[in-house]
Amino acid sequence: MQPAETRTGSIYDLGYRNYDGVRLGRRHAAMSLYWYTLRGAFGIGRRTSSKILPILIAIFAFIPAIVQLGAAALFGDEAEIFKPQDYFGFVEVPIALFCAVIAPEIAGRDLRQRTLSLYFSRALLRQDYALAKIAAFATALTLLTLGPQVVLLFGNGLATDDIWGYIQDNWAELPQTLVSGLLIAACAAAFCLALAAQTSRRAYATIAVIAWFLITFPIANTLVYAIGGVGSLAVYFSPFDFMHGCTLFIFNAEPGFDSVQDEAGYPMWTYLVAVLAYTAAGAALVLRRFMRIAA
Amino acid sequence: MAILETRGLVKRYGSSVTALGGLDLSLQPGIIGLVGANGAGKSTLIKILLGLIDATAGSASVLGYDVFTQGTDLRQFVGYMPEHDCLPGDVSATEFVAHMAQINGLPRSAARERTAETLRHVGLFEERYREIRGYSTGMKQRVKLAQALVHDPRILFLDEPTNGLDPAGRDEMLDLVHRTGTEFGISIVMASHLLGEIERVCEHLVVIDGGQLMRSGPIREFTATTGTLVVEVDGDSAGFAARLEKAGLTLIPEGRNVLIAVDGEGPYDLVRDACDDLGLGLVRVELRRQSLEDIFREKTESADAAG
Repeated sequence: MQPAETRTGSIYDLGYRNYDGVRLGRRHAAMSLYWYTLRGAFGIGRRTSSKILPILIAIFAFIPAIVQLGAAALFGDEAEIFKPQDYFGFVEVPIALFCAVIAPEIAGRDLRQRTLSLYFSRALLRQDYALAKIAAFATALTLLTLGPQVVLLFGNGLATDDIWGYIQDNWAELPQTLVSGLLIAACAAAFCLALAAQTSRRAYATIAVIAWFLITFPIANTLVYAIGGVGSLAVYFSPFDFMHGCTLFIFNAEPGFDSVQDEAGYPMWTYLVAVLAYTAAGAALVLRRFMRIAA
Repeated sequence: MAILETRGLVKRYGSSVTALGGLDLSLQPGIIGLVGANGAGKSTLIKILLGLIDATAGSASVLGYDVFTQGTDLRQFVGYMPEHDCLPGDVSATEFVAHMAQINGLPRSAARERTAETLRHVGLFEERYREIRGYSTGMKQRVKLAQALVHDPRILFLDEPTNGLDPAGRDEMLDLVHRTGTEFGISIVMASHLLGEIERVCEHLVVIDGGQLMRSGPIREFTATTGTLVVEVDGDSAGFAARLEKAGLTLIPEGRNVLIAVDGEGPYDLVRDACDDLGLGLVRVELRRQSLEDIFREKTESADAAG
């Protein structure tokens, strides 16, 4: 019999065994990619430096809600309570920043690191890959669009004497809050990924996303207020404007006097159509890109 | 049963470039070397079999699954180690390999467990918790192999697995490939343009050139013993050669060696007697096996002469 010591030279022998367990296939593969991407969006499982920006930006989105709660706690009933439909105005900049930082990471990372060929040679189709990425990014964005609303709902309830009474009173607005939060998240996710997926260069992707949100906004407002008429169509090209319009429509609220939606004068349902159209176009572009890309 | 079969497989880029021109292959399980010059179509073939690119025409099946219609089912049982860099820098090997295991259909707990085992198998220990960006080329190649193996594939495609490795790393990688193929019943298709590596590891050889199949057969068919005896003596090899020639043998001088065409038992006795008479030390007597390098050198030389 061989002495045991002869095996110490081949230490790699420890370990490998054949696997006879279940193989869960395509759905499981897509779900795993979804979770991995979602975790990655907040830098979970990565180094500390990749956690800082997403978490900081997410905190920005919560600050108005927290300030409101503080004011309500200090001044009681006199503090004016934010309406859910107005909260988009507070989170739109954090949403834009979050997209600018995270979309290039989600869309371009595997392209830059050439990991795509590993994904596409596994139990996963290219369309599964694209859809899992969009879904994960949209989910990450709901933290910004819905998270503060949840904090507000419970916080305001706590500030009143009767928390369940408050929540019951405001229950009616919950479906609208949910729908608008999900729609905005889906729209921003799909279209920002579509922009970011067109290049493997991170810087270009970030600039494209920032430009879509922040450059269109002043241009659209100038065109609407200064020119009007056909120029008012510019609201459909400025995501801050049409997303806000969509939120107002879902809550069946009137645009504020002299707001850009008021000034443009289009029916409010058209903003919902715009959000849906951007979502669909974005998803189609992301799919198209990953169906064609060489891996 | 054939583990890999192609019928009239064609891949064209545009109208002018033909990467594969009607490839017919039928391979049995084992360690298969895929040899060809750069641009011969090795990577194209592998990428078609993995579903990474579409074929222009023809059919292909791996493990009995049709590559084009049963791709997602098939690829649960396939591992792929690409030639190029493919690892993210900002996650640890453990994190990445476990993720890849799940993408291949393994449940989360099984993925974790097998990741640890597979990383040990390829020789990554404590460093597996560090970010991949700090790894040496050798360690990265090991992670690439681990992600291809973690789900215990039935067939493994390796594209130039020793790319960028130093000689020691090369030896270890080849060893690992050989052991993976022989001890765990995993069939391996290894593409390489280094014949020495193929010869060391593979049992079967497929030679493609210009997108055409040149030859396919067991390695030993390629490297059958030739009728050449290599003799090395200590001392006056010229005098030794002259003496043998006088005895009627056909000689080919090669450096300090004397190559003798063998035919029957005769030469062995003559060599012995010649050494004895001339008082020479006999260093080596060897019946030469042809190496793959020789075959291809002959082929390219005759091609050069023709051209």
